[in-house]
Amino acid sequence: MQRIFKTLAVATAFVAVTGTAYAEYPDKPVKVIVGYSAGGGTDVMARTVAPFLEKYLGDGVSIVVKNVPGASGQIGVTEVANSDKDGYTLGTYNLPGMMARTLDRKADYDASSFTYLANVVNDPNVIVTSKKSGLDTMEKLLAEAKANPLAITVGMSSLGGDDHFLLNKLQTMTGTEFTIVPFRGSAPARTALMGGHVAMGILNISEVSAFKDEINVLGVALEERSEFAPDVPTFKEQGVDLVNGSMRGFVAPAGLPDDVKTKLIAAFDKLKDDAEFKAAMSATANPVQVVTGDAFEALNADLLDLAKKVWKESPWR
Amino acid sequence: MYSDLIQSLPDVLAWANLAALVIGVLAGIIVGAMPGLSATMAISVLVPFTFGLEPLVALGLMAGIYNGAMYGGAIPAVLLRIPGTPAAVATTFDGYPMAQRGEGGFALQVAVVSSAFGGVASAFALMLLAPPLSRVTLLFGPAEVFWVAVFGLCSIIFLLGGNVAKGLISACFGVFVSVVGSDPIFGNDRYTFDRLELLDGIHIVILLVGLYALPPVIDLLESPLKTENSAGDHLGTEPIWRTFPRMLRFWKTWIRSALIGIWIGILPGAGGSMAAFMSYNEARRASKTPETWGHGEPEGVAASETANNADTAAALIPALTLGIPGTAVAAIMLGGLLIHGLQPGPMLFRNNPDIVFGFMWQFLFGAILLVFLGGSLATNSFAKLLKLPRPLLGSVIIVLMLIGVYSIHGRMFDVYLMLGFGAIGYVMDKLKFPLPPVVLGLILGGFAEENLRLALRIGRGDWIVLFQNVTSLVLVALTVAVVVGPMIKKRIVKARKTEGKV
Repeated sequence: MQRIFKTLAVATAFVAVTGTAYAEYPDKPVKVIVGYSAGGGTDVMARTVAPFLEKYLGDGVSIVVKNVPGASGQIGVTEVANSDKDGYTLGTYNLPGMMARTLDRKADYDASSFTYLANVVNDPNVIVTSKKSGLDTMEKLLAEAKANPLAITVGMSSLGGDDHFLLNKLQTMTGTEFTIVPFRGSAPARTALMGGHVAMGILNISEVSAFKDEINVLGVALEERSEFAPDVPTFKEQGVDLVNGSMRGFVAPAGLPDDVKTKLIAAFDKLKDDAEFKAAMSATANPVQVVTGDAFEALNADLLDLAKKVWKESPWR
Repeated sequence: MYSDLIQSLPDVLAWANLAALVIGVLAGIIVGAMPGLSATMAISVLVPFTFGLEPLVALGLMAGIYNGAMYGGAIPAVLLRIPGTPAAVATTFDGYPMAQRGEGGFALQVAVVSSAFGGVASAFALMLLAPPLSRVTLLFGPAEVFWVAVFGLCSIIFLLGGNVAKGLISACFGVFVSVVGSDPIFGNDRYTFDRLELLDGIHIVILLVGLYALPPVIDLLESPLKTENSAGDHLGTEPIWRTFPRMLRFWKTWIRSALIGIWIGILPGAGGSMAAFMSYNEARRASKTPETWGHGEPEGVAASETANNADTAAALIPALTLGIPGTAVAAIMLGGLLIHGLQPGPMLFRNNPDIVFGFMWQFLFGAILLVFLGGSLATNSFAKLLKLPRPLLGSVIIVLMLIGVYSIHGRMFDVYLMLGFGAIGYVMDKLKFPLPPVVLGLILGGFAEENLRLALRIGRGDWIVLFQNVTSLVLVALTVAVVVGPMIKKRIVKARKTEGKV
């Protein structure tokens, strides 16, 4: 019995190996490496996107999600950068984190290690204040910050992330200074804000929509208002040109064959107009913004420049 | 606040969740009955495997094992004078003499009924106290959490009993392990040796499995257990409905011991064994016939067994509301919650009320199940368990440990790390260094560092921020009391002794 299994396994492997030479992509399962544990935000995004990607890649291809957690996604994304350039290994990609790590830590990859397929989620930053602080409008907040530099404490998740970059932009634009209190992740930062232990917080819109009654949401860092909180004004409306957020998408190793790359980007492109996909993403609190191919690569370059600028002006480490 | 409690009940009664609880209690009794294997060990081996299960199934197993093991420890304590778990030491004092008199069956029945009573009381304490507490926890900012962590560390060092210096060294080792990885504020690498695997710090389950599971398994393989001439062959068991009325006279002891167990459970640091000792002493002091104690007084078994089960659910009160575990078992249970993406703390009660309240019900039902599963009929067969071949059992546990740890992140690095901690744990065990301070040092040390630094940033470098409100000051006072209290007591006792001599 065992021998039969062995022969069968060898035979299938042989077919699979020789098959790739002339069959068209994709003809075997495509692996998506997620740099975080199952159940986290990035993992949920990957698993929500997977069935739609299967549909648009066609040929009955199956997408297999593999979690490689650790070091804020760095272990997973390094594995993607070093995998075979055949389009059968993709990975999730977070911005600005993945680019910031190339500055503040020794990383075995850089911006040129990837083929940029698509950004799928843009979770914009929001500025929130505790009810206790009494700073319930952007105007009051900025007036207080100007009157007492460094007096306002700002809770956020770790340094070198989107929250930190937003604060940096705000400080440069308005000539203010705040005291940064970097918590380990957004949830403890939000809890400290609700208890009034910090006066202000920088979070993402998906993290505050259920808490609108307990904290003041002053504005959202988008070009236009978010469908998640239509009553929250943008910063632009309030005279501060702040646009920033946390992005999640998909990359493959650099040097993908052209036909494979075109096919993958085309499949991601179709997500833009898929209503069912958008509904599935809203249900998991993921604000969708699909940006594919070259546009995604340009977005990545912009964020790398921003990170470099912040790193040069005020290194956080 | 309590309506969520009622709403979560149907889920708990679902078939799979109830089955998990039954299996958990049975497994717990078996584990507890095997000398050397403890609830902590069993749950830490189990946690990595619960990943694919529904949260309530996983938590049901854990709650069941915890309750079951606290009673299971009484079986060899009564029959062989070998406590199955550290918490059952006080049970041997009167349980074994009873068994020698041929009343082993009655002793076990007293143990099971008392355990169930303690467990039920503890579950009620958790249900009543945790929800209002979870509302107050928003008051706990970084400064307050820092003091809670310091208080917890001090109490585990000074209240655990035994050698304070050894406790301190163990705790320091734990705190050192908490330093490994990127630092909580700036993210600088510390002791990572350029290994990405170490960047997130050392996962608590890896440390727990190594420290708590490997040494007892080595012991299990090393020393053959002598079970000949055990009192287990003539238990003299009568049906429980006939013996139950004879137990009713223990009601005062039950209530007193349950309160002691709950109180010790809420306090960080101390655990089931301390609860059992304290309640045994208090019950003897209150007894009209203290001379019969130690010679087979069933009330002594009742006191010890009520208290060590009353400690279980209560130990989760600070763990669930503040996210700060007070005992090693609570720490692993938190690990189990985290694996399911459930972040302990005030938000847990808001975001996942069905699960957190369901977990509380499971503690209650687990305690009630004890009477049925550990009752007179089953006890006879559990006594035979002690005759299982120990090498077989040890090998099975080792295999489970290796698979479990590998499956956390899917890498061998963690397995080597676990084996390393196992070796350290074995040496510490032989040299009589206490293990719980290591675990709490890892968790509370991390909490203390992170929150101290956050508090100082909030206060812009001014240390006064640590003493600015009543909550902080109360915690400081408690910490001082825990550190200084035992010293003063020692002085007074010494002074009295010298006076007596003069």
